[in-house]
Amino acid sequence: MPESKTDSVRLTIDGIPVTVPKGTLVIEAARRVGVMIPHFCYHPKLKPDANCRMCLVEVEKMPKLQTSCSTVATEGMAVRTATTVVNDAHKSVLEFILANHPLDCPVCDQGGRCDLQDFSHQYTATASRFVETKRIFQKEYFSPLIETQMNRCVQCLRCVRYCDEVMDVKALAPAGRGTMTEIKTFGTHELDCEFCGGCVQICPVGAITSRLSMYEYRPWMLKRADTVCQFCGDGCQITVQTKDNELIEVNSEYGAGRNSGDLCARGFFGFRATGHPDRLTKPLIRRNGALVETTWEEALEYTAQQIARIKNAHGAQAFGGLISGRCTNEELYLFQKFMRLAIGTNNLDSSARYGHMNGVQAMRRVQGTHRWTLSFEEIVQADVLLLVGTNVTETNPITGLKVKEAVKKRQARLFTIESIRPAIGTISNITNLVDQHVCALPTQFGGAVLALLKAVVESRLVDQRLQHESPDYVGAVTQALERLSWPELEAATGAARDTFVQMATGLAQGRRVVVLAGQELLRSAGGYGSCLLLLDLLLLTGKLTEPGCGFAPLAEENNDQGAVESGAVAELLPGGLDLANPEARARIARAWKADLPLAAGATLVEMIDRARSGLVKGMLIVGENPVGSLPTVVGAKEALQRLEFLVCQELFLTETASLAHVVLPAASSLEKAGTFTNQEGHVQAVRPAVDPIGESRPDWEILSALSVLLGTPLEYGDAKELLKEIRGVIPGYGLLGPAPIPPKVDRAAVERYLAGDYRRALAARYTLAGPADAAGGTTHLGLFQSLFHSGKLSTRSKGLLQIEAQAALRINPADAARLALADGDRVRLSNRRGEVTTTVKVLERVPEGSAWFPDHFGQDTAKLFECAIDPDTNVPAFRTASVSIAKIS
Amino acid sequence: MTLSEKYGTEIAEILSRYPVKRSALIPLLYLAQREGGYITEAAMIEIAGILKLTPPQVYETATFYTMLNLKPVGTFHIQVCKSLMCALVGSDTVIGWIKAKLGIGPGETTADGLFTLTAVECLAACGTGPMMQINDDYYERLTEEKVDRILADLKSTGSCALKTGPFMWPEPARNG
Repeated sequence: MPESKTDSVRLTIDGIPVTVPKGTLVIEAARRVGVMIPHFCYHPKLKPDANCRMCLVEVEKMPKLQTSCSTVATEGMAVRTATTVVNDAHKSVLEFILANHPLDCPVCDQGGRCDLQDFSHQYTATASRFVETKRIFQKEYFSPLIETQMNRCVQCLRCVRYCDEVMDVKALAPAGRGTMTEIKTFGTHELDCEFCGGCVQICPVGAITSRLSMYEYRPWMLKRADTVCQFCGDGCQITVQTKDNELIEVNSEYGAGRNSGDLCARGFFGFRATGHPDRLTKPLIRRNGALVETTWEEALEYTAQQIARIKNAHGAQAFGGLISGRCTNEELYLFQKFMRLAIGTNNLDSSARYGHMNGVQAMRRVQGTHRWTLSFEEIVQADVLLLVGTNVTETNPITGLKVKEAVKKRQARLFTIESIRPAIGTISNITNLVDQHVCALPTQFGGAVLALLKAVVESRLVDQRLQHESPDYVGAVTQALERLSWPELEAATGAARDTFVQMATGLAQGRRVVVLAGQELLRSAGGYGSCLLLLDLLLLTGKLTEPGCGFAPLAEENNDQGAVESGAVAELLPGGLDLANPEARARIARAWKADLPLAAGATLVEMIDRARSGLVKGMLIVGENPVGSLPTVVGAKEALQRLEFLVCQELFLTETASLAHVVLPAASSLEKAGTFTNQEGHVQAVRPAVDPIGESRPDWEILSALSVLLGTPLEYGDAKELLKEIRGVIPGYGLLGPAPIPPKVDRAAVERYLAGDYRRALAARYTLAGPADAAGGTTHLGLFQSLFHSGKLSTRSKGLLQIEAQAALRINPADAARLALADGDRVRLSNRRGEVTTTVKVLERVPEGSAWFPDHFGQDTAKLFECAIDPDTNVPAFRTASVSIAKIS
Repeated sequence: MTLSEKYGTEIAEILSRYPVKRSALIPLLYLAQREGGYITEAAMIEIAGILKLTPPQVYETATFYTMLNLKPVGTFHIQVCKSLMCALVGSDTVIGWIKAKLGIGPGETTADGLFTLTAVECLAACGTGPMMQINDDYYERLTEEKVDRILADLKSTGSCALKTGPFMWPEPARNG
């Protein structure tokens, strides 16, 4: 085969022949044939450094020993890893390392999984020729979460290199020289970084360990469960380690899951949220106005009675349901089946409504899929990336790593339209890696995309074939763009025409173009329109249907995508089928052997409105917290208080659950089995790591029990049985392989769109958004997701609270100087709707005139925001407001 | 006062020398050291800002080189080479002499704030050891009498005729 000759090389390792791709390192080639060459500094994620000298091997015809971690395998190479010479070399390297390494294995948390310990056993290095005293570093406090014990360090610099090459944070530095090199951050300062835990995971010895479970275990005492993180749409595989039903630590394995060993602070340090003492352990029932503990029997019977009563008295439409996108697919599926069959209404919605639906509906309309047409691999292999409103480091950190890999390792061009400025900070900033950057307010992301489209059209970058085949579409878009003038686009976006022309040219030249849309775009007013504009952009440049290209909206909750695919939104049935489509209805009805309710369902805010007006009298809320999430102006609290009956399935007594008549304690995702679908559409297994706390039960069990009491039994033996049914309804759902198989763009849908569907509300989305909010004040206030929190769940995690314990308003240094503010000063934010006080934190990445507030703490700021409902997708947008800031002295 | 405020033009000149910004790190650290004889944390943070590096990255470089001081030093910073060549011809003895005369060991400063002693790695004067560098000047082929005279001269006049450098940096002025 001539091809294999050019792409691969053959060599022998200890006489064993092996064929590997060109460019493979000898150490990797050896691994393929099961020969493990000892090493410390080598890691497949990092560039070879060859500083530890442990991996020396003999290579025929080479005069000296070679470091196998930096030697590329070549044709005909004969490598020997087990000769006396090699063995002696390894022994002497080990002797040098052990000359300084303390004998403190009995108190070292790494003991039992330490590379140095293993190699010492292997080489039985029991005697040393060194008589000098060992080097001793002064113990320095490093961080509340990360423990350093520098006497144990073997100076392989894996942690430093990981922090730089993979994370792009650069928080660690090897200070000093020679033997006295020690890993530090900056002087005697406490570590302030992304706290991804990467240094803890990658340290081959016990020099850097986690303080969260220090001295509590030995590795061999731990029971492990491979499951999926509950915090964001990236869907990282985590290994949860437990001892006696207690959570000890979370880590991740290189090569496993979509994250391949990388985690963020939420994944690595956030696991104790579900073990918080505030967890509900018993069902609660409201008696004489107060919630008191009761038995499951009473709680369930009372709930069933009340549901039946409301249904009989007012009809099924008087009932509504909400579910969180943190539930498993099985639960989401059963929830919508319960609502549609046991209760008989389509009044149901999930947290996908907060923004994810904007992306999903845009994809459905233009490309006929409800999923990405690409996967993480395509992001890594992209040659041009466009990020719009992602703030990817904080919202979807592992997607961020894929983007960083594409840019840093594979030299992809990065264009961003973000609300952050490039600045070096304690956490990484994706806009530091850009080719072109537009720093716009979230309200003007759509405007920036319009400018980009205008640049495409004016620079004659429109795909020739599209121009030829769909002249009407191209003409209509061109005409719409002509109505926008460059001066107004430049004024709105704050970027020059030339920037957009450069970006447009880059996008058109790209062969593998990937567009990522993040929370800030998806949750902004007009988010749906902006998603359509991005799809228009891909269409016009002829990229939409090209392999390796595509549009990827990022999901906020870990299973928002699963919520959509399980049919846990009012307008969709399982499999992303349209409820209004009779054929789809018939298919689901056949599978369920029951009729579906006909009336269109109410979505999130509509249900709240109907509750206020008395049309909806009862609600079932599973893990969702509309009172805590929606702005005050929606009036969720008052509306829910008017309900005749509210039942919540919850982990904690949230703002919403405290209004309920019955609260049923639910098991967290670490306590149950099922599947999560990440934003790529990859279905992954969730496995229980610990037993449910107290009397809590998985949500699906509760729903199943209620359905029996309601006389419409939806009974399943376990979550697997539910998955089996889901697979019957959605053919091939969840192959559970190592990587998703993304769907292809549905050409029929694209043709339908180009043939005329594009006209629907074309003028509206090709219009610049005006100043969004006129509530008074010149500062743009935005709610944002912090890297260290996710929703409100993470604010119960001890580890994450140690990094970020309270809300602080992020402002720009120039604004801070103008108002004479420093970190920790108190300010009053006010507009026509109300006022709140908070503390400030000065951050360079915040643009001047903006202020960001983390969306996780308290409810105070909720009153400052307005809520705009998207007319097409019913997504409530309430993340921006204008306020004035005043210092409180 | 920040470095940029005080040395704006010089910093711009230094930056203009390098196509990769980061390369200007050591010249900027030297500039910062000129201020008070050592590099402050504030200076490192400022330099990080100028070069788009994180403070730990600047700290890493600053701790690597013995020529860069992270703690205040005396008016005269004595750096005795302790690398192999000088060690063979008696750098230990030189350190001993200084200790006997000034009462300070490596890493220490005299009470009057005049002298700081440091033992450093090779200063590239291997042919003329034992040697030491005081501030920017080299003193080579040291003997006890020479050390006596150097210390006495520095104490009294602030300079000593026995100096043989600087050789490497900064470049000697070309004035006739």
